[in-house]
Amino acid sequence: MFIPRLKSLAIGALALCVAVPAMAQQVTLAHDKAFWDPGWTATAAEAGFTPTAYPTDQFVGFIQSSVAAGTQPGLFTWWTGRALDDLAASGGIAPVDEIWDKAIADGQFPEGLRALFSVDGKAYALPVNVARWVVLYNKDTFAKNGLSEPKTWEEFEAAMATLKAAGITPINATVQDGWRGFIWFQELMLRTNPDAYNALHSGELAYDSPEVKAAFDIWTDWASKGYFSDPRSTTEAPDFAGGNAAMYLMGEWVIGGLKEAGMDVDNNLGVFLMPNRDPAMASTLIVEGGPLVLSAKATEADRAAFEYWATEKAANTWAKSMQLFNGNLNVAPPNPVFGEVTAAMSEKDTVAYQRWWEAVPTEIRGDLVAELSSFVLNPTADQAAQAMANMQALNADYWANR
Amino acid sequence: MGDRSMSDSELGALDAERLGSADVRQRRRNALTGALFAAPALLFVTSFLLYPVAMNVWYSFTAWRKFEGLGEWAGLANYQRLATNPNFEAAAINTGIWVIASLVLPVALALALAVLLNGARFSDTAKTLFFLPRVLAPTAAGVIWYYVYAPNGVLNGFLSLFVGPVDRGWLFEDSTITPAIIVAFVWQTVGLPMVLLLIGLAAIPRDPIEAAQIDGATPGQVFLHVTLPLLLPTILVVVIISVLAGFTAFDHIWVMAQSFPGKRRLSLTVLMYYEAFTNNAWAFASAIAVVLGGIVLAVTWLQAVLQERVDRMLK
Amino acid sequence: MNRVQPQHLDLSAIDWREVARRKRRLVSGGSWGMWLAVAMALLWMVPFYYLLITIFKSPAEFATGPKLALPEGLWPVVGNVSAAWQAARMGPAFLNSAIYAVTGAASAVIIAAMAAHGLARFDFRGRTALFMTIFAGTVFPLQLYLIPLFFSYQSLGLIDTRLGMILFYTAICIPFPVLVLRNYMSQMSREMDEAARMDGCGEFRLFFSIVLPNASSPMLALFLLQFTWVWNDLLFATVLTQSPELRPIMPALQVFQGGYASQSPTVILTASFLASLPTVLLFLAMRRTFMTGLTAARN
Repeated sequence: MFIPRLKSLAIGALALCVAVPAMAQQVTLAHDKAFWDPGWTATAAEAGFTPTAYPTDQFVGFIQSSVAAGTQPGLFTWWTGRALDDLAASGGIAPVDEIWDKAIADGQFPEGLRALFSVDGKAYALPVNVARWVVLYNKDTFAKNGLSEPKTWEEFEAAMATLKAAGITPINATVQDGWRGFIWFQELMLRTNPDAYNALHSGELAYDSPEVKAAFDIWTDWASKGYFSDPRSTTEAPDFAGGNAAMYLMGEWVIGGLKEAGMDVDNNLGVFLMPNRDPAMASTLIVEGGPLVLSAKATEADRAAFEYWATEKAANTWAKSMQLFNGNLNVAPPNPVFGEVTAAMSEKDTVAYQRWWEAVPTEIRGDLVAELSSFVLNPTADQAAQAMANMQALNADYWANR
Repeated sequence: MGDRSMSDSELGALDAERLGSADVRQRRRNALTGALFAAPALLFVTSFLLYPVAMNVWYSFTAWRKFEGLGEWAGLANYQRLATNPNFEAAAINTGIWVIASLVLPVALALALAVLLNGARFSDTAKTLFFLPRVLAPTAAGVIWYYVYAPNGVLNGFLSLFVGPVDRGWLFEDSTITPAIIVAFVWQTVGLPMVLLLIGLAAIPRDPIEAAQIDGATPGQVFLHVTLPLLLPTILVVVIISVLAGFTAFDHIWVMAQSFPGKRRLSLTVLMYYEAFTNNAWAFASAIAVVLGGIVLAVTWLQAVLQERVDRMLK
Repeated sequence: MNRVQPQHLDLSAIDWREVARRKRRLVSGGSWGMWLAVAMALLWMVPFYYLLITIFKSPAEFATGPKLALPEGLWPVVGNVSAAWQAARMGPAFLNSAIYAVTGAASAVIIAAMAAHGLARFDFRGRTALFMTIFAGTVFPLQLYLIPLFFSYQSLGLIDTRLGMILFYTAICIPFPVLVLRNYMSQMSREMDEAARMDGCGEFRLFFSIVLPNASSPMLALFLLQFTWVWNDLLFATVLTQSPELRPIMPALQVFQGGYASQSPTVILTASFLASLPTVLLFLAMRRTFMTGLTAARN
């Protein structure tokens, strides 16, 4: 008879679930970056916190509701830009200026990095990730085609033409997972008109203005020449690692993934800063910051674990685990690429710009990036015009009803 | 769990058979024992299902988004926003397409299969085969079909055999993505309506059919004039199950439209999830859920009315 | 049931040979239809075929070869399984799915049987209202539960706990079995109840030792249906669990969907295959019981 069997099963399983171990008082670091697991494990072993991974969507909801209830975890990762503004305004996190003062005095972080993690001049976070958005390239492919790192816009376009003529896709770019559509838009805006790029984010410049159209024109032109890879691939990083395209514009955090996908990142991966269209323009670069924040209700133990992230030790452990870089000045570069980027930036006195993703109002971000992705999938002049019109409609509506 | 929403046409009828002569004490004891037996189920349902529904309705009238506005009365603002939201109309239209498609496709296909398989040899095996996809998780089915539709996938490869190289991204184009996902959905869900219709067919008495055959009716006439009317109650159940499944489809879209830019426009359920968990417009998302719930309630009510009509018609 | 009767039937006037001919035509038409059904069944199996051959292909073989060709060898499956197993942490995920699905479905069916017993076999005022309250749990789209449940669980500390998962799955699995079992139990004879009561049998013993055994076959069918539902659930598992230790198999598969995922389609399909294996095997082994459950659902 099955009923008694069911009953005993039910009782057994109930016993199992009641036996969930009671949590001891501990320092929790909540994050949505499970793909950095080796890094979290290595640093946790040193600083004595418990890393807890959440899927991104639930993570945001969890933080928002726990801040409202005053039960937020002691430490958690967040995003810079408008997301950090909102979080700081909620009063759920503590200002950490004195930790920055000390770290800068000790020569751990450059003063210039502080602004990225601040709201209205007050620092609210420490960096766990600082990723410069650079052009990574396949050294073998470049060498075989007699190419060197392009220093100017013309050289960059010539390199793409050479590669294309040799049957190699010049640039790896997809719409995988729906968020990547902004990458080349952001880069082309920055390379043609950085002031216009910033003005987009404050609502001062329309998305259908001539400045934006200029960027779209270049984008459309390159796409029509077949310079971009199939945007429908859902294996973007492995494609590049496997040699499917010669160049890949992405944050430095992707290097760990390239290595995982089998690329020899120590020897075969080169890097350069994307040149400006006008050589007279100042050197600029997109810098993405991954902030770690401290709860406004942090305990002493929470604070100690937080301060660990301002040390060289943390930076080195983090870097060694899986080629992660947190902007620390004393860290041994986890990969030659990081050192090269740092050197190039200080040589050219490069100014850091915020990523479009963090700078744009979160309320319309999803809809804007959908328009950009639609263009990536169908890069025609018509689609560009439609994307600009649709984006401006969303943008105008947002700034009018704020 | 499309079968969750089946209703019972005899809800009231049972109450009528109350024992007239039982003494009051016995009745009180009955009520107490009966209610006690029902208590755990009631407790679970009210606290985990009905309470959240009530809360959801309440949220939809607040200004809750991101970190603020929980408990702050906003009146009908969220419902008014539905009209101006750039995605609501498209999502509602797509949900409409889902409903129409799931009204027609699974029912017609299931009916055809049921008629073909009724009494046929191997019908048991065939039944099992058609039902098998339903046991798969929608996510697993979505993943399989994702690669069927990929630019270098099975479908393009198959079409290339006939018309030369095909390089369509079926899940990347506005015009093909919804039909493509619906096909995968029908593939997975047609088993249940088919089995229900087979059960219905088996229950139809042989006499009228044989009588009609003896009268010289063609198989088509027999089907149209005898079998179909007798099958009407079952068809109604199947239609309602399919329509409600179409309204609430989520998993297949979620998995298969992973990289599609206009994902949130693909259905009201996806838009609701997006507004809640990506945009953190909690109150607005609750309003979408309430609209969805209202429609489903209306359909369920319509089904109850129709069922009663059909039952009366057949009697 | 109504009967459509021909007005009058003159047996002597019937051309029996014509009838036999028609019958033959009907039968041959039926076998033609059967072949159509077989063709459709084969078409229906194509995705399964695709799944089965792909898990035996290496990522490189999949990327370059024809998608529907048979695999070159069988060994790549080992690499696919181990990659899928590790990436999705399938060990604990399977255990969790089993715990949630068995406990949730079993307790739901038992609680539902109690409710059905109470509502079908005792006559009292208000029982229809009680039934309607439970039945209301089946009419709302699942999305309506999502946000409030997420935040209530958050504040009750039930989020990301086994207990929280089991409580919710039990609740969502109750209403449908109540509907089915109430109909079933109202058709069961009440005489044996009365006889047992005369013998001094208590109400709970009566339920557990007389009513339950008599309802065991629809209950087993309902258990299988609800087990499958819980096993396959993605929505609530994604929202209500967070840590990998407590996450069941379906959300665990989402690691292959993330923005940083870099797995081959062969590994992703292998993971889907492994995750579906338990419910598919269960269905194949107990398909008659499944179908019985559906018959019960129909009435």
